[in-house]
Amino acid sequence: MPKAVFPAEMKNLESMIAFIREGAEKLDFDKMTLSQLHLACEEVLVNIINYAYPDKEGSIEINCKPGQEQLRIEIVDSGIPFRPLDIPEPDINLPLEERSPGGLGIFMMRKIMDQVSYTRDQGRNILTMAKGKQP
Amino acid sequence: MDLKVSIANENGIAKITLAGTLDAANAPGFQEELKKLIGQNIQKLVFFAKDLAYISSAGLRIIIFAKQKIGVEAQLYLIGGQEAVLNVIKMSGLDNFMTIQDDYTE
Repeated sequence: MPKAVFPAEMKNLESMIAFIREGAEKLDFDKMTLSQLHLACEEVLVNIINYAYPDKEGSIEINCKPGQEQLRIEIVDSGIPFRPLDIPEPDINLPLEERSPGGLGIFMMRKIMDQVSYTRDQGRNILTMAKGKQP
Repeated sequence: MDLKVSIANENGIAKITLAGTLDAANAPGFQEELKKLIGQNIQKLVFFAKDLAYISSAGLRIIIFAKQKIGVEAQLYLIGGQEAVLNVIKMSGLDNFMTIQDDYTE
């Protein structure tokens, strides 16, 4: 089970995404699904980078669990409690001039992934996402 | 992952050409570039995206920013978007508020 820990900084986003893409290789996803996985993971990682550690430095742990038919990705941080499943869905029918900036990333992550679950354990946020090969 | 941006203002038509990937790491730099268009009486915001392989919500927020801060009345265009980019535009409902074309026709 490939696992990696990164400082929660924007400059490491590219390396984190590369690590996840590597973990996805075994499953031979099509190009579109890989791009969607990239998007879903970026949205989660960027939330942690921007908000999890408001007054200290912290880290992000990523576990990739490639199975036969699906890829499970676990993203763990020790920052402030944040339950992405509680974020209200944005109204995507609103014209652009009336939109507010938040919520779109997590909304798309939830649309893309087949399963998303969250637990808070011993001061850690643990987000587990799964994406199967079949739509 | 890198983003290349070029911006031209042709008589109120802002032509913005994007290549590479537009993510949270490079979105702030792009937003700074776009700020130069504020107050320039822009009527059309045309994003040329033929060579843009990826966009995340950070990039979508810049499109929303452009509409809100550069030209509330401006028409938005997305030209030559790749499948992966169009997919994100549709997921977020931005496709209902942009003119999506393979080639730019005024």
